[in-house]
Amino acid sequence: MTKSLPALLACLLFSACTSSPKVSEPGAKITSSETKPLVGAFEVQRTVLSNGLKILVLEDHSSPTFAYQTWVNVGSRDEVMGKTGLAHLFEHLMFKATTNHPEGEFDRILESAGVEDENAFTSWDYTAYIQELPKDKLDLIAKLESDRMVHLAVNDQSFKTEREVVQNERRFRNENSPDGMIFQDLYELAFTRHPYHWPIIGYEKDLASMTSQDARDFYRAYYSPNHATIVVVGDVSNDDVVKTIQKYYGGIAAQNSPVHAILEEPAQTKVRRKVLPLSIQIEKLTMAYHMPGIADPDVPALMVLDSVLTGGRSSRLQRALVETGIASSIETSPMEQKDPTLFIFECNLQRDRKAVRAENVILHELSKLAHQLVSEAELQRAKHRAEFSFYQRLDSAGEKANFLGRYETMTGNFETGLEIEKKMMTVTPQQLQAVVQKYFSPRTRTVVTGVIK
Amino acid sequence: MKHVQLKIAAITAALLCLSSTAFATEVSFENDDSLPIVHLNVAIKTGSVSDPVDALGLTNFMGEMLLRGTNLHTKDQIDEMIDQMGAQLAVETRSEALIIRGAVLASQLDPFLSLLQELITQSNFPDDEIKKLKSEVISQILEEDSSDQKLAGLKFSEFLFEGHPFGKPILGKIKTVEKFKRDRIATHYHKLVSDNLLLVVGSGDAKEAKIDAWAQALGKLLPHGNPDLARVPVPVTPNEKRLLLVDKPGRTQTQLTGGQVGVKMTDPDFFPLYVGNHAFGGGSFSARMMDQIRVKRGWSYGAYSYFKFSREPRSWQFYLFPAAKDTPDALAYTLKMIQDVHDKGITKEEFNFAQQSLVNSSGFLYNTSAKRVENKLNERTLGLPDGFMKSYGSRISQVELSQVNEALKTFLLPDRLSIVVLATAKDMKAKIAKAAGIREDQIKVVPYNQE
Repeated sequence: MTKSLPALLACLLFSACTSSPKVSEPGAKITSSETKPLVGAFEVQRTVLSNGLKILVLEDHSSPTFAYQTWVNVGSRDEVMGKTGLAHLFEHLMFKATTNHPEGEFDRILESAGVEDENAFTSWDYTAYIQELPKDKLDLIAKLESDRMVHLAVNDQSFKTEREVVQNERRFRNENSPDGMIFQDLYELAFTRHPYHWPIIGYEKDLASMTSQDARDFYRAYYSPNHATIVVVGDVSNDDVVKTIQKYYGGIAAQNSPVHAILEEPAQTKVRRKVLPLSIQIEKLTMAYHMPGIADPDVPALMVLDSVLTGGRSSRLQRALVETGIASSIETSPMEQKDPTLFIFECNLQRDRKAVRAENVILHELSKLAHQLVSEAELQRAKHRAEFSFYQRLDSAGEKANFLGRYETMTGNFETGLEIEKKMMTVTPQQLQAVVQKYFSPRTRTVVTGVIK
Repeated sequence: MKHVQLKIAAITAALLCLSSTAFATEVSFENDDSLPIVHLNVAIKTGSVSDPVDALGLTNFMGEMLLRGTNLHTKDQIDEMIDQMGAQLAVETRSEALIIRGAVLASQLDPFLSLLQELITQSNFPDDEIKKLKSEVISQILEEDSSDQKLAGLKFSEFLFEGHPFGKPILGKIKTVEKFKRDRIATHYHKLVSDNLLLVVGSGDAKEAKIDAWAQALGKLLPHGNPDLARVPVPVTPNEKRLLLVDKPGRTQTQLTGGQVGVKMTDPDFFPLYVGNHAFGGGSFSARMMDQIRVKRGWSYGAYSYFKFSREPRSWQFYLFPAAKDTPDALAYTLKMIQDVHDKGITKEEFNFAQQSLVNSSGFLYNTSAKRVENKLNERTLGLPDGFMKSYGSRISQVELSQVNEALKTFLLPDRLSIVVLATAKDMKAKIAKAAGIREDQIKVVPYNQE
């Protein structure tokens, strides 16, 4: 018999929440309310209820619809070894039965109401449930979402079927995907202690041994108003949204937060490397350096560096790798995560080219950036590209809600995302050079190469 | 993620204004000043169907070359100009359209329009760039083999549309791309890039009149072309059920896709079939395929059926990706479901639910300027009447159950499906032959990396 999550977490949980009833308060009060600018004429109203629930509302009356997103402050970072993949598996279970609605009814009601883009996703640091609906369905979605925050009923049969679905998703995203396998190995190599070590979707052996009781324990521990932010963007009024959410979520009590002692990742001191033989026809190079978490003051300069390296057609690595016939594509990603994370390089080689050649080119370009200041013209191009990308990320109600929910959940306020954008526009050549020198030592890289089997 | 979403590729135009007169360039632009960016698509209304049979991939290659050198600027200079503007320019090739997709900060619109006109009218196809692009495209073709999902989709198109232009791979084949030369590319450019095949569609923080004036000026710089370039023969569904097994080593999961020739969106049966398909495999968790394959049995993360559209009937296909161990059962059950829906149709309850869902969500087909732009692009390149996508809600609400079931019975051809299974062939061939009801010796097996 597999141990349940609270038992496994015994040494990690400061205050486990295993049996306290979730519905206890008659109605949560508003404890704070403020208005903050987003971009252009758009403003965001932030309201916090006494049960800890945060509400972000952005009124945009350009279409008779709205996006409704529920961001829960839990992800694979909150799991423990032996139970990897539980946050994601649980996300799937949230679409099963509640004590008020039999299995399938949640989807049927929303589909019948004309829902668009109904989905959910789990990351290292958060889980989000998203929908877009016609404007007159606010009451309906608040009622359904609040119901599954408190009344989910996970039974053995639905757990087993959904676990099989997740195992198939794992085959799809990891086992049978060269990029998925490379990414899993990259994080496993780069993180030795921190929970970013394991894949969000979990290990097969952990999924296979999980039980419905694990899921119920996880639900009790993490799904409560004080762990959630509701983001509503679209043809709504802030007052209506707050009243509706108070009506449906106001009676749900806050729960003690499990205090999960996240282990700090020790500094990497030497190169870590793995070669994966795969069913591919061109080689693949994935390489990463450690970088700080999202709230660190160095992040804006690292974002600009991303743009300098691969942000456009004239970017450094595009020219050094693609224009020279070594690679067919090169991308960089400064990961936006709560804890110190990775700055990742992904490169698909051209036919008959070797990954090691691309690796040397990247090292050379990083060395140049560490020793020579970028020109003002190159920096300006990088900032223009970054500015354009920022606006692109706010191009629809769903994307605006995603921006708000992600930063609010990861850092406690969405203004962090705006601050990063603002500071990026003031990054100097000296600051750019400083972050390259600080984070991109050749000794501290992790390299996973996909080679032709 | 809860599930992978598959969507129909189109929406409509509520606020778009279209101007089209004899020899005038077709333009539609929607002002949207909520963000300081402008999206602009310049399309040629024919795509990979125009590839000569001995030069597959030529349309895409020519389109990519438009961004790689003009009489005035080298590729390096062009790239720097684009980045300096905070702009994006990329080429998308479809069967029926070549689209240059552009986007720029509104403050940089003037230099962007000037550069875009230069790229379209003064490309000079430099030999050194042709050589570089060949190497990149060949690598992209090889990279496509690494994605099981993408590879299964490509193999299905080739298998179903054997010999028809819809079966042509957009990027081409390695052996055809290797042969491209400057003269051939330039000739293809002069054939395709013409005023009467030109379409400009966009939205953003700019005046419609400004974009219209720019587009008309662009059209005047181009020659007249042959509108028949977009025409293709009507494809025909093969006469018997067939199965292609694409052999890839080490698969723990199978890509399973199959189908037949589809229907035009302007066909009288289109909306009844659309409702019927939504109930059968339309991506909803309440659809039969998702309910039976994923929810009830856990066999696959997703199970869908959908139409692909073009100017002629394209395809109706199903798709699922079960574990290797469940593949024979999942295939047999899917084929049984197709036979059942052909024979008995959908139920009254399924019909009511599908119709209500589709009508209530139809507003999302055109609720943003980006979607309206995409609709206009689709309407113009697929030969649909103006506002077609906006009519979805009202057209679907008029459909009756009897129409749906009659249309399904006439349209679906369970005995003539083309099926592609991407899996590790060892130990699989006999089982899937039995599941599909096809003799084992009639199943063709090809290695995954065979062109």
